[in-house]
Formats: sequence, structure tokens, C-alpha cells
Amino acid sequence: MNRPKPDEDQELVARTQAGDASAFDQLVIKYSPRLYGLVYNMTSNHEDTNDLLQDVFAKAYKAIRGFRGKSSFYTWIHSIAVNMTLNFLKKRGRRFHMSLDDVDSSIQSDKEFLELTARSSPVREADLSELQRRLNEAMMKLSDEHRAVVTMFHIQGMPHAEISKILHVSEGTVRSRLFYANRQLQNYLDEFRKNPVS
Amino acid sequence: MDDFDDKEIATLLRLKRHEQPSPGYFENFLHEFHRRQRDELLRQPLWRICLDRANDFMFRLNLSRLTSYPAAVAAVLVCAAVISIRIYQEPPAGNMAARQEAGLSLPVERDAEWTLASPVAMRVFNSKPLRSWNKSGHTHLRNGGTPPRYVLDSVPVSYEPTFRF
Repeated sequence: MNRPKPDEDQELVARTQAGDASAFDQLVIKYSPRLYGLVYNMTSNHEDTNDLLQDVFAKAYKAIRGFRGKSSFYTWIHSIAVNMTLNFLKKRGRRFHMSLDDVDSSIQSDKEFLELTARSSPVREADLSELQRRLNEAMMKLSDEHRAVVTMFHIQGMPHAEISKILHVSEGTVRSRLFYANRQLQNYLDEFRKNPVS
Repeated sequence: MDDFDDKEIATLLRLKRHEQPSPGYFENFLHEFHRRQRDELLRQPLWRICLDRANDFMFRLNLSRLTSYPAAVAAVLVCAAVISIRIYQEPPAGNMAARQEAGLSLPVERDAEWTLASPVAMRVFNSKPLRSWNKSGHTHLRNGGTPPRYVLDSVPVSYEPTFRF
């Protein structure tokens, strides 16, 4: 996913700070699909994601007057979303159910999907939807912090430096969390491949 | 069969970005956001709304960027405090005369307050002299109507016997 241009955001932020509510509407329209993916892949629940995303933008709207531009709006809004989602997950604990495990039909035309299913691989041998379901389960077995890093790096395509700014940790911590999370996911999926019925 | 490698897992994870909500969700998202904001505004108490309006007003004035603003406010407050203290300390004109009278009679009362514990050098001797310097030490006036009167002892000292048995 391409990162939005910071200049456009600065102008919209300045207009919002000056009292132009329609400028914030444009920021909502611009960032809601991206933040939806971030929050959803951390919660695996559509209703929770919807409520959280509404709260994220409401909080951002209230706090935007205090935004001084030390970081980009992109980093700032993502930081709010990740922190609110992590707090929500701590309160929720392990009580959750997955509500959205269907992949969009556009996946059939995805270049990476075609490459993945074309060559001989474990993915080709397994049913993709079942594999996605297992992957979601494996994701939810990760700790909240590891899942956040995996979501931002692998799914959202953010660089390590950006993730470290959002989470307020070092890049080394981001890399070590990614390494550990990859090992965990690999173990879960290998177990599924060896015992598909489990 | 091969195990999943890092690349395949990364690819599988990237495919998760195709997991999207129902069509039209993001069109309704903004309307839902506005509706929630209105509901929240209606639930807020009146004082909170007034406070927010005041904050908006201050923010639009952009007072926070005026670096001397806090110093100016502090200076005005200090000046007001000093002036008000001076006004309260300054007595009215009528009381001034009464205070001056009280000051004249004060030294007489001070003698009663003086104790041995207080330093001697600090004592103010304001006692009035018994006679004025113009008056003589005689009991009668020289130029008065009655002449001076002298009283003699009944027995002079020279007539007293030296020894008595």
C-alpha cells in the first residue's frame, strides 16, 4: 500500500485545526480503509473493528488541535489506532470470535496469489480458504504486540522504521518481534499441513 | 512435502489485505461517524459545551503562539496586586488626625510599658519637669504682696546641754 503524501495531510490537518470539519472528513475517507485493515487484522472481528475505528477517529478529531506535526499525520493516526486496539485487546482478553475470514474476490487477480498457487507449494496443496482460516487462527495465537508488528509489516507493508515510530520501540525490537512471530506462524501452519483435520 | 518458508508465509499474510468489509461499508462509515459525533454532543452537559466553545475561540485567536502572553498576564496580575495592597493600606484623611493625637499622648503610656528587660538605651524619657526653667526654687514669689516669713526653732542648738544624766 502506498503511503499518502504528507503535504496533503498537512494541509487537511491545518484546515481541521482552523475549524474546517470537512477537511477532517477527507482525512477519514482517506485513512479509514487502511486503518480498517490494521485494526481488523489485530482483532479479527468486524463489529469490534467498526467500533474501534469510530473511536479512533473521534479521539483523533478531539486531539488534532494538539497535533504539532512533530511526526506525520500518518504516523500519528496509526499510533492512536494501534494503541487503542492494544488497550481494547487487553480488556477483551481471549474472548473473541472471528467474524470475517472470507477473502475478497479480487484476490483471484492478485499477482502474488497467482504466483503462490502456480508453483508447487504447501499453499497449492491446501485449500486456500481453509489455509486463510488457519492463518487467522495462528495470528490470534500470537501475542497482541507480535500481531501488531506482523500486521503492520506483512499486511500493511510498512517499513521497520515506521513501525518503530508508531509503537515507540527500537527498530531492533521490531525486527526481533517479527522474527519470533514468523517462527510461531510457521510452526502453526506446518502443524496444520501435517494434520489437516486437527 | 516442503514446510512453509518465510517467503510463503509473508505472501500468505499479504493476501490478507484482500479481507475487506462488505461493499458500501466505507461510504456509510463517514455518516456513522457524524451520527456518533452528534449523539455525543447531545449527551454532553452544557458547561462542557461552553468550555469547548471557549477553547475553540481561544484557539482561533491563536494566543498560544504569543510567547509574551503568559508574561504579560503575570505582570498585569502583579501590578494589580501591588496597587490593591497600597489602596487598602492607605488610611482615610479623617483617621490621620486622630492617629496624630494618639501619637502625642503615646509617650506617657510608654512608661507603663517599660520593663527592666528592655534595653536602657531604648528608653525615651518624656516625663515632664516639675517646674519650668523660668520659675525659681523659692516657695514664695519675691515680688508678691506678702513679705517672706522666717520661722525660728524654739530652742537654739547652742542652748542644748551637752550631757544629760
